[in-house]
Amino acid sequence: MPTLAHYLYVSGALFSIGLLGVLLRRNILIIFMGLELMLNAANLSLVAFSRFHPGLDGLPGYNAQVLVFFIITVAAAEVAVGLAIIVALFRAKQTVHVEDLDTLKF
Amino acid sequence: MTPSFPIEFCVLFLGVVLLLADAFFPDMDKRKLAHIALVWLGGFLVATFFLRPALLWASPAGFYLADPLGIFFKQFALVATMLTLVLAIEYAPVVERAIPGSKPGAGLGEFFILPVFTCAGLMWMASAADFIMIFCALELVTISFYIQVAYLRKCPASLEAGTKFLILGALSTGFLVYGITWIYGLSGQTGLSAIAGAFAGIPAIPQSSQTALLFGLGLVLVALGFKVAAAPFQFWVPDVYHGAPTPVTAFLSVGSKAAGFVVLMRVLGPFLTVPEIETRVITVLQVLAGITLIYGNLAAMPQTNLKRLLGYSSIAHAGYLLMGVASVGSPLAGRAIVFYLVGYLLMTFLAFLILIPVAKAAGGDDIAHFNGLGRRSPGLALAMLLAMLSLAGLPFTVGFLGKFFIFEAAMQEQQYFLVAIGVVTVACGFYYYLKVVRAMYWQPVPVDAAPVEFSPLGRFAAAFLAALILIVGIFPKPILDILP
Amino acid sequence: MNTNYLFLTIFLAVAIIFPLIPLAIAWAWARLFSPPKPGHEKLASYECGIDSTGPAQVQFQSHYYLYALVFLVFDVETIFLMPFAAAFLKLEFSAFLTLMVFLLLLVEGLVWAWAKGILAWK
Repeated sequence: MPTLAHYLYVSGALFSIGLLGVLLRRNILIIFMGLELMLNAANLSLVAFSRFHPGLDGLPGYNAQVLVFFIITVAAAEVAVGLAIIVALFRAKQTVHVEDLDTLKF
Repeated sequence: MTPSFPIEFCVLFLGVVLLLADAFFPDMDKRKLAHIALVWLGGFLVATFFLRPALLWASPAGFYLADPLGIFFKQFALVATMLTLVLAIEYAPVVERAIPGSKPGAGLGEFFILPVFTCAGLMWMASAADFIMIFCALELVTISFYIQVAYLRKCPASLEAGTKFLILGALSTGFLVYGITWIYGLSGQTGLSAIAGAFAGIPAIPQSSQTALLFGLGLVLVALGFKVAAAPFQFWVPDVYHGAPTPVTAFLSVGSKAAGFVVLMRVLGPFLTVPEIETRVITVLQVLAGITLIYGNLAAMPQTNLKRLLGYSSIAHAGYLLMGVASVGSPLAGRAIVFYLVGYLLMTFLAFLILIPVAKAAGGDDIAHFNGLGRRSPGLALAMLLAMLSLAGLPFTVGFLGKFFIFEAAMQEQQYFLVAIGVVTVACGFYYYLKVVRAMYWQPVPVDAAPVEFSPLGRFAAAFLAALILIVGIFPKPILDILP
Repeated sequence: MNTNYLFLTIFLAVAIIFPLIPLAIAWAWARLFSPPKPGHEKLASYECGIDSTGPAQVQFQSHYYLYALVFLVFDVETIFLMPFAAAFLKLEFSAFLTLMVFLLLLVEGLVWAWAKGILAWK
């Protein structure tokens, strides 16, 4: 029987993998996947907390579950805008690598 | 007197109607959209003065808080959006040139409409009293800013700024939600007052859960640090401010920062009621404020591009504001922060408003492009002089009083070290702001200088802002009396 | 609040150490093992073994991507209908109105996309 701790370990691992992806990878698309993974790590632990800390009526906490819905939709909006920007960037500069973003450095 | 929650829906509805108007009348002059938005936002601004400060759904689960602070920041957001639209109208020729379309002004409509949506998000943030609400409002603001920063989609600098802002903004979102997760896990609540109630219900928080709680709060602080541009989470600021269209830069530096500080003050509320956590949070805030002050002011000194300079100056101002947040125990702190933000709005928008026509005439936004402005167009130079002196903090301007109140609040909390850093960095500030003044008055006029053109609306806004900088700098009482 | 929060402390340590070690390695990794080597093969459009043919500057079919983006948003927003449907019988009339406003906003997005010509297949 998995306990709260198990879910939190998995969620922590997901968050760390996502963060690592953001920090290590140089392809913007993969960085973006890492960011999505971080959000989903938060979703997992929110649902786990809500399931294992029932309210006074014995039902899972609804606040966390509603927050999960909002996180999912916001993540979708973020992806839509993000991909549009990345496509525009690719058209302008023919690259999706972070090292090539050097116009603004001096 | 009416309850206040419909006002955000009105702003949102205005945005939706403008979007449809833009789509269904492709041949209209898009500047009309901006004028319509200006008139309506002005109407909403008047309406906010008749709002009843009240708790909506006042219960532990209440997620919307229309206290005087919230209503004041709604007005703040509306004013900032209106000024952004004035700037955007000035900036429209650049957008038209950067986005070639089948018709003139093809890509201009959304440039005027997106700030309206951002405004709705800022207004919701001002009233958010629940982490769910904070998250949604913050994301509405952030995502609409992603689009605005990357708006000039044929211009590599703007796209690059947009991409950097996108990645770092999304990263801070990740930190925010993970932090909220831990705070929820330990308190079982997402509402700020409910969290405070959960802490009040137990005699002492065990050590291990204190650590976890601080971990969660730390992640939330990192995310808010990104939003308000506090060091060491400031690295996106110079590039994004430099690459974004100028009106967006101004909106980003004022609106995003103000909303970030309101949320910061609200989020810290329940945690400062727990003595074990309070001392540590205050220490963290002091360290952040100190680093931000030093970094922002020192890094601004060698800058040659005015937008970048104002970016670093925005970091420095975040440092002064954080100093106010760290002195939150003082009764003056809240009012000092509000006053500082008002002053920051006036002087930042004035500086960017002057920058747009000058950059248009000179073909760039370096400080060198201001050379000899004092002789080319004395009126603009005088307004810029006022903005720079106020940003530096010269007496009889709003910038001086803002810093003065913040320092006084910090002195009341015995934060002498921070005040010392603050005073030293103000001196640094004089150096880099006066570089602009020097260029305007002591440098020769370039031989090929084009005449600076400035629309009547822009002139009016600049005169209005300049007058307010002086008036509020001499009579601060009306602004200070906003908060009880 | 529960008392056994030892795992939280352990978790915290793991959560800090886990990213920190690779961060240290990352710099070395980037320098030693994975220097950027953009080559013909690597920059080819598809890396599935078949050589890409034709010129690189093909017309980019942006229609697919616009449809995908619009679909993505509408697809995910319907998630809010799920809890509404699950609790439908217990809800007040105001909840129904709220959801109608939400759907109206979605429809507005569709109408806007339509009027802007995004849905037209050129």
